[in-house]
Amino acid sequence: MGNAAVPPSVTQLIQTFSELPGIGPKTASRLAFFLLRGKSELALRLAESLQGLVENTRFCSVCFNVTEQDPCPICANTSRDHAVICVVEEPMDLLALEGTNQYDGVYHVLHGALSPLEGIFAEDLRIKELEARVGAGVVREVLLATNPTSEGDYTAAYLITRLKALPVRLTRLGRGLPVGGDLEYADAITLTRALESRQEL
Amino acid sequence: MYALSGMLQLQRMYIKSLSLRHFRTYMRLELDLPTGPILLMGANAQGKTSLLEAIAYLALGHSPLTHMDQQLLHWSAVESGMPFAQVRVEVVKRDRVETLEIALQHAHLTNGNTRLDKRIRVDNRAIRRSALSGHLNVVLFLPEDVQLVSGPPSGRRRHLDDLLSQVYPEYVDELSEYQTAISRRNALLRHLRDHGGDRRQLEPLEETLVRTGVTLTLFRRRVLALLSLHADRYHQELTGGAAWLHLEYQPNFDPQAPPQVDYQMGLRLRERPEVMVDVATLQNSYRKTLQQRRERAIQRGATLTGPHRDDVTFMSGGYDLGTYGSRGQQRTAVLALRLAELQWLEQETGESPVLLLDEVLAELDRTRRAYLLNLLGKVQQTILATTDAEMFPAEFREQALKLRVAGGIITPS
Repeated sequence: MGNAAVPPSVTQLIQTFSELPGIGPKTASRLAFFLLRGKSELALRLAESLQGLVENTRFCSVCFNVTEQDPCPICANTSRDHAVICVVEEPMDLLALEGTNQYDGVYHVLHGALSPLEGIFAEDLRIKELEARVGAGVVREVLLATNPTSEGDYTAAYLITRLKALPVRLTRLGRGLPVGGDLEYADAITLTRALESRQEL
Repeated sequence: MYALSGMLQLQRMYIKSLSLRHFRTYMRLELDLPTGPILLMGANAQGKTSLLEAIAYLALGHSPLTHMDQQLLHWSAVESGMPFAQVRVEVVKRDRVETLEIALQHAHLTNGNTRLDKRIRVDNRAIRRSALSGHLNVVLFLPEDVQLVSGPPSGRRRHLDDLLSQVYPEYVDELSEYQTAISRRNALLRHLRDHGGDRRQLEPLEETLVRTGVTLTLFRRRVLALLSLHADRYHQELTGGAAWLHLEYQPNFDPQAPPQVDYQMGLRLRERPEVMVDVATLQNSYRKTLQQRRERAIQRGATLTGPHRDDVTFMSGGYDLGTYGSRGQQRTAVLALRLAELQWLEQETGESPVLLLDEVLAELDRTRRAYLLNLLGKVQQTILATTDAEMFPAEFREQALKLRVAGGIITPS
């Protein structure tokens, strides 16, 4: 983008946009020029939202979800079951589970999964904090809801080695076939998992 | 010719057409292929080997010649900024025709970098790499094959992995899981050495190594025992009964290794008695070794024990051909191995593989050349690349489809 025809402030915005996940140089340019095209009101609103995001949000000191108040509304909610902790990788995962309206326990956000190849180790995740919460004694069940990926499985297996000595029930999110899917088109690994986690009727 | 006798019920697969786009020297190629021998003739660096490589690429899911798919792209595709390459074959099997395809395409990553994406399709449906196993089987003879005997162990491991991967999808999955766990564990070992941290992070990775590693070892042991039997018979035919050959599996981790066999001249050791060890015992023993050697592994920043350090030795006449064999002996041993692979693939899959030979005749003396050509007459499809068609007997040349390869363009000759 070292083009002399593009003013530095635009170049800089393009550069910044392209650091975002899922945005390549093309999309970044498109977004930058879209904001330039008369819609100064939109650009300013965006700037304000970003500032608000940085200034008003923090991590909940209990579950490490993103929040504006500490503890977060979920952790502060006394009608939820604080003896059940659901462990997720990212805040987005928490949102997805909340969307089901089927879970009334609390959460713990790890902020990532173990990935030695990308330099992410146990000390980079909120694992010590989870251990402390579970060790405090109120917790009855820890539901591991890391992603069904190789990293997610590794993280879950590691959490089990750390938590198994504590007197809590450890559970793992069930895995199997997608709803509305076709058995014939499922891959062998998914089918194997579905067979392994079949249920008594 | 013992390979094909008594196997008349064999189904024989062959490649009906090949299509390449931006692959190596080929901008675009559409080629119909008949059964029987096909001779690719041309000077060096014209695209003969690349064509064989493209076919092997579809059988193995990766190139037998390079780890880097990037190298497979035609230079113009790289310069265009939108690199794309495609290899596609139609394979005729007993009761159907299948289309296999691998496409390479640049994909933008979230961090702004690009990556070469590889899509594998069978009959236009995207599949995992492991599901490619069994769709097309080949035996590839390369001029550098002799390196298998004399070169480093990694070449022999890769070769064995490629052969097993052609047939068993589960082997592909276990191998890939094993390799990922090794890379992760090694990265973690280095991190523990340089920065410290919780060693319990090693445990889940070691469990994966134990589970997949023992499976790999058992697969390799079983297949090598069969290959060794076939290779020995071919070797004796090739040497006029003068020398036996034994492919000896040297697992890096072998808790119950049988006592070292004393090879003596003239002693023919067809097969050692199989030591029956149950899987749980092997796993426990491997787990214990990994745990015992953890400190050393941390110091070294590498996993010291496991099938990623296995080897195979070519034993003949009482010694290791890799160390003590002459060039000629090594060449004969490797030819016997290739023929054994052909035989093994036939037995295991019930289908005769496609043979791909790159400049192999030049390496052989007259007797062996005749032996090999005689065998080629009996398989369904063979593609041979050569700079010198005169090397083939006139009779053979007459039966073969002759194609001239020049600058990535193929014309009938």
